[in-house]
Amino acid sequence: MSTTTMTHDEAHHHEAPKGWRRWLFSTNHKDIGTLYLLFALTMLFLGGASAMLIRLELFQPGIQLLDPDLYNNLVTNHALIMIFGAVMPAAAGLANWMIPMMIGAPDMALPRMNNLSFWVLPAAATMLILSFVVPFFPGGGTQINTGWTLYPPLSVQVGMSMDFLIFAIHLLGISSVLASINIIVTLLNMRAPGMTLLKMPMFCWTWLVTAFLLILVVPVLAGGVTMLLFDRHFGTSFFDAAGGGDPVLFQHLFWFFGHPEVYILLLPSIGVLSHVIPAFSRKPLFGYNSMVGAMLAVATIGMVVWAHHQYTVGMSLGAVTYFMIGTILISIPVGLMIFNFIATMWRGSMTFETPMLFAVGIVLMFTFGGLSGVMLAVVPADMQYHDSMFVVAHFHYVLMPGAVFGLFAGVFYWLPKWTGHMYDEKLGKIFFWINVISFNITFFPQHFLGLAGMPRRIVDYNVMFTEFNVISSVGAMIFGLSHLLFLYIVIKTIRGGKKAESRAWEGAKGLEWELDSPPAFHTWTVAPQIK
Amino acid sequence: MKIPAYQTPELRRKNVRLAWVLAGLALFFLVTSFPFWTGLFRIVGTQAMQ
Ligand code: HEM
Ligand SMILES: [Cu+2]
Repeated sequence: MSTTTMTHDEAHHHEAPKGWRRWLFSTNHKDIGTLYLLFALTMLFLGGASAMLIRLELFQPGIQLLDPDLYNNLVTNHALIMIFGAVMPAAAGLANWMIPMMIGAPDMALPRMNNLSFWVLPAAATMLILSFVVPFFPGGGTQINTGWTLYPPLSVQVGMSMDFLIFAIHLLGISSVLASINIIVTLLNMRAPGMTLLKMPMFCWTWLVTAFLLILVVPVLAGGVTMLLFDRHFGTSFFDAAGGGDPVLFQHLFWFFGHPEVYILLLPSIGVLSHVIPAFSRKPLFGYNSMVGAMLAVATIGMVVWAHHQYTVGMSLGAVTYFMIGTILISIPVGLMIFNFIATMWRGSMTFETPMLFAVGIVLMFTFGGLSGVMLAVVPADMQYHDSMFVVAHFHYVLMPGAVFGLFAGVFYWLPKWTGHMYDEKLGKIFFWINVISFNITFFPQHFLGLAGMPRRIVDYNVMFTEFNVISSVGAMIFGLSHLLFLYIVIKTIRGGKKAESRAWEGAKGLEWELDSPPAFHTWTVAPQIK
Repeated sequence: MKIPAYQTPELRRKNVRLAWVLAGLALFFLVTSFPFWTGLFRIVGTQAMQ
């Protein structure tokens, strides 16, 4: 496949445009990747601020800072900002930066659509933030108190801020689907000659699967919230039992999206690990093919287990049994991925630079979250755990290591490539330790709280839960603030530092490391030959 | 803003065609999400009961 018409000579005439036009009109995958990453970082701090407010309120029993509606509004906003604003755009930023460089393509397949995918996001974020603040204006209606799951009938009763939120979700969905289409087309049509699908770097594989998942499930969420909109304003009763509808139907639509969504958040980070662990173990990834197979299995089974989030709504015994078995089955391919990572490290000559520290931390802590997941998958047990802080502990243990730490690992791993400077390794390690220890202080006690019966999404709690909540809140303050150090390291690296070589890590493999650090504005204008 | 120069018209057509196919898939899921997946869920539920 020949992918280039531009000769080397021509390429040099295409320098980066100057000023704001460079960013607003950008069709360059590296610039758009940077935009995504900056957007995600901003959202990380917004979402983090809301989380710290939540934990401040929960520091003591009783109601100190936030009235109950504001508390629930914050809980809703926190989840949506983190999932749609921070993690997904950050993963898309990595994809934009790395995929073309990894497969030897000059850019994404549809560069102008790429521009649109990004620039929809700030509009969506504005809508999301408006959905939070509108109730504070005269006539703004009630606050969103449903949590990110938006279950009716509550979500039908909320004021106009819910309409802002539905619009925001539509915009976010459009952005994700367009970006996914672009990524799939790029991966299928733009690979350098000789790079067969099974020679593709693992990060590309994880994104191929993620993008397909997004295309399949985001439209279902869009359908669900559109029906919600109709129930709210146009007299339909999709989710209204009084009109012949069924509120549980919404839960099915939401979780048909929601469960695959957790793999959408997880897989790109698994892709990052598949590069970081081999690089710092100085061994090739163990079991490449089985990794691809496991991922396809996770994605396939992951599409048909959604109702494990709704065990308590009174499904038939048959349905509940099916969803339980399906859910537990997923831990087999997930376990295989973890096994492959451990086997890659086995007898490798390992060193522990910051990306690798995060990688090892992820393997340990993500596995722990997977274990509490299996507990939750067991129906009679979940009858007790459901809607308790145990669930909160579970999903933070899978999401923080499984998604966020993986993104951190990726940022530290590729920052030298992007900026041309090595980050400050000592600060990176300090950040890792503060971050990981305070993460565990924050979320580990929540397991006990949940098991002891503390419900989630409630502003107040019984005095008997005080001690663990105090610990959790103290941890959360350290955890939240530790990200300022991350910001500092990133800014410092952008502004200067030790010069990075093209192969910034001696164990790193792949086409991206054959380009300069930082790479030219246009790279691989002549496709490399893959043997 | 310029149309990117690095794609041959042939590759460009191929890309756009695949993009439309994928968009079609997304649209298909949008319009069928409601009856199809809930129907499948019911079938699974009742079958498993037997
Ligand atoms: C072996 C793997 C896993 C199993 C068996 C599992 C099982 C479960 C179950 C049964 C629930 C519902 C608990 C309840 O509400 O009562 C749940 C909740 C959740 N899980 Fe997992 N899980 C697994 C892995 C993951 C992964 C990898 C992620 C994300 C990366 C994740 C994210 C979540 C989230 C976000 C929720 C809570 C959603 C909400 O109610 O707001 N889980 N999990
Ligand atoms: Cu799930």
